Amino acid sequence: MNKNVNIIIDGKTITAKEHDNLLNVARQNGFDIPGLCYHPRLSPTGACRLCVVKIEGTNGLVMACTVQVKDGMKITAFDEELENNRRHTLSYLLAEHNEEYDETYHDEFRPLIERYNLKEVAQRPIKSIWQNIPRVVDDTSPVLTYDSSKCIRCFRCIKACEEIQGKGVLSFADRGIQKYIVAGTGKWGSSECDGCGECIQLCPTGAIVEKPHRNIINIYKIDKKVVTSCPYCGVGCQIEVWTQNNQIVRVNGVEDVSPNYGRLCVKGRFGYQYANDRERLTQPLIRKNGKLEPATWDEALTLVANKFNEIRQKYGKKALAGYSSAKCSNEDNYIFQKFIRLAFGNNNVDYCTRLCHASTVAAMIRSLGDGAGSNSIEDFETTDCLIVIGNNIIETHPVTATFIKRGKQKGQKIIVIDPKWTPLVKYADLFLQPRLATDVALLNGMMHVIIKHHLINEKFIEERVEGGMQAYEQLKELVMKYTPDLVEQITGVPEKLFTEAAIMYATAPTAMIATGMGMSQQTVGTNNVFALLNMCLITGKIGRERCGINPPRGQNNVQGATDVGASPVMYPGYIPVTNEENRKKVAKIWNVPFEELDPNPGLTTLEIMDAAHEGIIKGMYIMGENPVITDPNQLHTIEALQNLEFLVVQDIFHTETTAYADVVLPATSLFEKDGTVVNSDRRVLRLRKVLEPTGEALPDWKIIVEIAARMNINIGNYLNEEEIWNEIRQVAPILSGITYERIEKQGIQWPCYDEYHPGTSTLYKDKFNTSSGKAKIYPVEYQEQSEKTSAEYPLVMNSGRILYQYHSATLSRKSDVLNAYASESYILIHPDDAVKYKIQDRKKVKVCSPRGELITTAIISDEVLPGEVFMPWHFHESPVNALTRNEKDPISKIAPFKYSVVKLEAI
Amino acid sequence: MKNDFPYISLKNVDKADLTKIENYLHFGGFSAIKQSLGLSADEIIDRIKKAGLRGRGGAGFPTGLKQSFTKTSCEVCLQKYVVCNADEGEPGTFKDRYIMEKNPFAIIEGMIIAAYAIGANKGYIYIRGEYEQAIRTMQAAIDDCYRYDWLGKNIAQSNFSFDIDIYIGAGSYLCGEELTLIESLEGKRGYPRIKPPFPAEKGLWQQPTLINNVETFSHIPFIINEGYEAYACIGTAESKGTKLFCVSGNLKQTGVFELPMGITLRELIYDVCGGMLEGFEFKAALLGGAAGTFVDASFLDVPLAYETLKQKGATLGSGAVMIIDQATNLKDLLINILEFFKHESCGKCVPCRIGTTLIYERCKKAQLLPDDINWLIQQTEYMSRNSLCPLGQSPILPVKSFFTYFNV
Amino acid sequence: MQNKQTEEQVLEILKQFKPEKSEILKALHALQNAHPLHYITEEAITQTARYFKLTTGQVYGVVTYYSMFSVKPRSPFIIRLCKSPVCYMKGSLNLWNYLSQKLLLNENNISSDDLFTLEPSECLGHCEQAPAMMINEQVFTNLSPKKIDQIIDDFKRKYHEK
Repeated sequence: MNKNVNIIIDGKTITAKEHDNLLNVARQNGFDIPGLCYHPRLSPTGACRLCVVKIEGTNGLVMACTVQVKDGMKITAFDEELENNRRHTLSYLLAEHNEEYDETYHDEFRPLIERYNLKEVAQRPIKSIWQNIPRVVDDTSPVLTYDSSKCIRCFRCIKACEEIQGKGVLSFADRGIQKYIVAGTGKWGSSECDGCGECIQLCPTGAIVEKPHRNIINIYKIDKKVVTSCPYCGVGCQIEVWTQNNQIVRVNGVEDVSPNYGRLCVKGRFGYQYANDRERLTQPLIRKNGKLEPATWDEALTLVANKFNEIRQKYGKKALAGYSSAKCSNEDNYIFQKFIRLAFGNNNVDYCTRLCHASTVAAMIRSLGDGAGSNSIEDFETTDCLIVIGNNIIETHPVTATFIKRGKQKGQKIIVIDPKWTPLVKYADLFLQPRLATDVALLNGMMHVIIKHHLINEKFIEERVEGGMQAYEQLKELVMKYTPDLVEQITGVPEKLFTEAAIMYATAPTAMIATGMGMSQQTVGTNNVFALLNMCLITGKIGRERCGINPPRGQNNVQGATDVGASPVMYPGYIPVTNEENRKKVAKIWNVPFEELDPNPGLTTLEIMDAAHEGIIKGMYIMGENPVITDPNQLHTIEALQNLEFLVVQDIFHTETTAYADVVLPATSLFEKDGTVVNSDRRVLRLRKVLEPTGEALPDWKIIVEIAARMNINIGNYLNEEEIWNEIRQVAPILSGITYERIEKQGIQWPCYDEYHPGTSTLYKDKFNTSSGKAKIYPVEYQEQSEKTSAEYPLVMNSGRILYQYHSATLSRKSDVLNAYASESYILIHPDDAVKYKIQDRKKVKVCSPRGELITTAIISDEVLPGEVFMPWHFHESPVNALTRNEKDPISKIAPFKYSVVKLEAI
Repeated sequence: MKNDFPYISLKNVDKADLTKIENYLHFGGFSAIKQSLGLSADEIIDRIKKAGLRGRGGAGFPTGLKQSFTKTSCEVCLQKYVVCNADEGEPGTFKDRYIMEKNPFAIIEGMIIAAYAIGANKGYIYIRGEYEQAIRTMQAAIDDCYRYDWLGKNIAQSNFSFDIDIYIGAGSYLCGEELTLIESLEGKRGYPRIKPPFPAEKGLWQQPTLINNVETFSHIPFIINEGYEAYACIGTAESKGTKLFCVSGNLKQTGVFELPMGITLRELIYDVCGGMLEGFEFKAALLGGAAGTFVDASFLDVPLAYETLKQKGATLGSGAVMIIDQATNLKDLLINILEFFKHESCGKCVPCRIGTTLIYERCKKAQLLPDDINWLIQQTEYMSRNSLCPLGQSPILPVKSFFTYFNV
Repeated sequence: MQNKQTEEQVLEILKQFKPEKSEILKALHALQNAHPLHYITEEAITQTARYFKLTTGQVYGVVTYYSMFSVKPRSPFIIRLCKSPVCYMKGSLNLWNYLSQKLLLNENNISSDDLFTLEPSECLGHCEQAPAMMINEQVFTNLSPKKIDQIIDDFKRKYHEK
């Protein structure tokens, strides 16, 4: 931290931090020095020349934005000469500026024109010349329009793109008075721009304006500006949502607040259209004569309650199960799991985390004690070395990726390990491309290198690993079998590359790992993460700041849903279902007899579906999930759902799953909710109601409470979400200290045990959260896949996500903007395979696996290895899960979405 | 006029083709390197300081001082650089081209000594793209130096290693400004950087960088070989050494002339260049190029040196001396210069981007009234105080001097 | 004559340079000089960006900043006529008009035979022999209409001989 210094501005003594930006300091202390090119999030530019000041001992005029504060500095911020200069500069700017203003954007320039008395043309010393300057308008982007006649060439957009987002897509073209902003070679639409809109947010004059709702928005007619959390991925970006007539018209990133500090991605900024979509469910539906027909809430709720009670009586407690939702709030999920445990009387509650990071969580809990990322998002910028493995982080966690790109600009080493090329490779020092499902071999090979080069951290192993060097010796014995030759043979990664990567990681002063679905969604998912953890542990790259392992979460509240107990094996706060003492404590808080709480773990997501398929589960309650698209082996899923006696689906839209529902209940969207979520770095963040509910839609938790009441189940009475949260705090000690009041502005990271606890930015600094307080090494062997390629199915299919769509695309495909960027399914195939199987670029192909088939478009690309193909799974018309299998990882029960044998046929 | 001065930048170029390394060696070339390698860095810098060498690019900053700043700017540096500014874009200036084409090894020798003095191992010569011949000559000279071990590893069997690469500009006057040149050298658009930090502290790739003009480097071997006293006795009190003057216009003889600082315009025109061409009369001179000052006949006897010209509100700049005769329409010439600034403004800062257009447009008016003239001067004054880099700060020089000495 | 640059040709040229930022301007010069029409194509910009790990916008920004580069097709010969103060005093404006008429320039300043593009240039640094011009990499000084006739005819002849 810099020391405090005193400076004097216009006679007033001000204390500031040494090297702080003078303009910033002056403004914070009430000196309203004008300036248009400066922005606190950007490096100073000194282009607009409005923030001129005088500094004693310095000749001439100085731009305050370019000065760092020094002790004893004497500054004149306002005098006649400075004000005259500023006025003159403004009149210059005004001369090249098109003043038309349509009230659709916030203009920082106009107030200055009034302030400096330049509103009337007669008052202006300089005549307009903008009409004579070539005007460039670029309207090719789906999200924005650029108009050079309104541009003051302040560099803010260029720097927003480069310094904040790390993309560098924008530049000036030409020079002098004619220069203007370009993306790519002059057309935004065909450039590398991915539509995040950071440039729009930072443009001070409306030269870059948003396209969506351009004809509706009027910034003087905004009804509400509400800060809430982004509904998409698990970064937890804080967004300010603007509404007009109960319609969202704009979303901005909230400046100065973690985790995103104003940054957003294209989904967060432009993906909100679903909230006001006409297809939203507006009233309860009951299936009558095979058709879903509108019903009253009372009708629907009574039917649901009666049916659930009937099934429980007829088949027993084990015949019911529920899917909770990573898209719903903590409060919704908490009430849902409470409902299952009390109303169904079992622990059959799970949700899609089982399909994404169950294996990661399983391995981390066993080895480290907590099933969450060990670091803060900010550490992605400051760590010295980062391994990103099986995670297309630029597309799936775009804002987390901005931290990485900024780290890169400061010299961070980046190692990408992925069977498929991802955009982060452009920033990477090393790119290792192993064959699908060979990760354990690769990681064991890297540990082999680390051990051979004596790069283990003995002190760490002795002090912080259970069994110390003895445990290490066991691991060593195993990994030493993974000789470079063998590893190269299994993985296809050249020895030189993985050796370099291992050394880079092991020798970095601090190093972090980001792991993703590529690691977890395999039948060996848990082993994959064990191998990663082993590498962390023998090198001591965990348990310190900027060291650790992080699984960025895919949905806005995957983290929170498990935190608050939406799990068949854990109560809220990661306390095992089997823990009797805890059940007693919880029973007391819930005010129910202890005996009513089932001590046996429930079924996991895929086990529930299997049980339904087998006829064991008869009734199901699905809240905010779409298993027909998201679960593996689609045919199996559909058969299971059809096999149910009674299915309730609670959602905001019709989905592929509501097609099989007996009752459909309309819920409120995230924009219509209060509550909280937990993001990937364990930060509890607020949700705030932006819109009034659509039609008769109700908050999820209220629906659940109403059903419980009709089932005569005492689930509690809550006035609002905060009351639920305060109960969660009692049940889950890791969340105890976090109150709504404390997170009004900034989120707090759990564990946070009491109201004075600051929260925890880095886990395991003192001890691991295991019973011994030490981490555990689990040596793991490489295993071959049970599913093997054959003459019939010669290729292996990998699946994944893309930037512009989201999960089953129920939300994202409602957005014209996102669809404009990407709305069609495709399959990537290596050029060699394209020749081999006579596949043509951009032509339709049939993809078949032993389980099903689909039609999509082939794209020939060397992003994938020969023998492997890749498909995004967002598109219901080409459902990837028609091809995947429901085999499970034995420990975590996750399915191998990343490995299905297929064949391709041109059609 | 003093005739008893040695040639420095153009030493021996009249005697042999010094683009051939054998010839350069024949006349004692590279002996300054050998000597320097036996000296400490501080001793070298001290000699340069004592010689009183000032930067020949136009600003006249003491070279030795620049060297010591660069030498001491960091304790442990990743890398330091020496950059030779050969982006000679000032209208009316062609001396650097001349040195590069005639005496390339002297520049390289100067760079090597400077690099040794400040502890740099990598150098660049930034040559403007239009100087095809100079680029070829310099490249050949560099190649020869590598062949003769005057560049590369362990120069002259010492522990000192130094590499030079040529960088080719692509048409931007502004890139002659040192920090803009560095931006350009990093492969970017030529935008001036905010000062401070100066290149001595954070230059190329944010590392300490010594950047000097071609002519400046070419003076270093002389100072080392002949001693700083021999150098300091040439010129005037505050302007030591010789200077290359680029004389153009309707004169009997035009070209690059190496002369002691302090020579007068009259001596230059009538003694050195043999006077005006038949039918032409001296009317004015533009000293220092577009970013220079107009002078009239009252300047004929003012010594051409930094301090003497400064006293009279004029500049020596890069050494361009454009002689203007009675047949030239002065106002058209001013418009030509203002158009140049407009064309070369990078557009980064408001006063320059818009100001250069405004003054150009106003100057084009058929008849300039006193109000117009006042307005023009006002704008250039505003620009000079508010612009980010020397380009926007410059139009005041030709504009103000023009209206001081001439009526339109 | 082939008026295009293939992807392979561009890559071939780029490979002559180290993929370091301080080589970009050199590479762009080489690309432009190698193109029969002396300009930098969109594809060349895209490939240059990839080669130097930049975005196309950054490369496009660089190309359009420097006046020697062109993103528009030109012609086999680029005439850069100096219009700086000295050449101007020595009549470069007349020479401009002379050349315009002689070459029958179109609105892009390209000659009717598509061989020459006439561009104004800032000071070429040959003021002692003004007026001056460059055609591609060659400099011509002490220009007069007569001399220009000769030079242009020379270029034409040599071009057609090839």
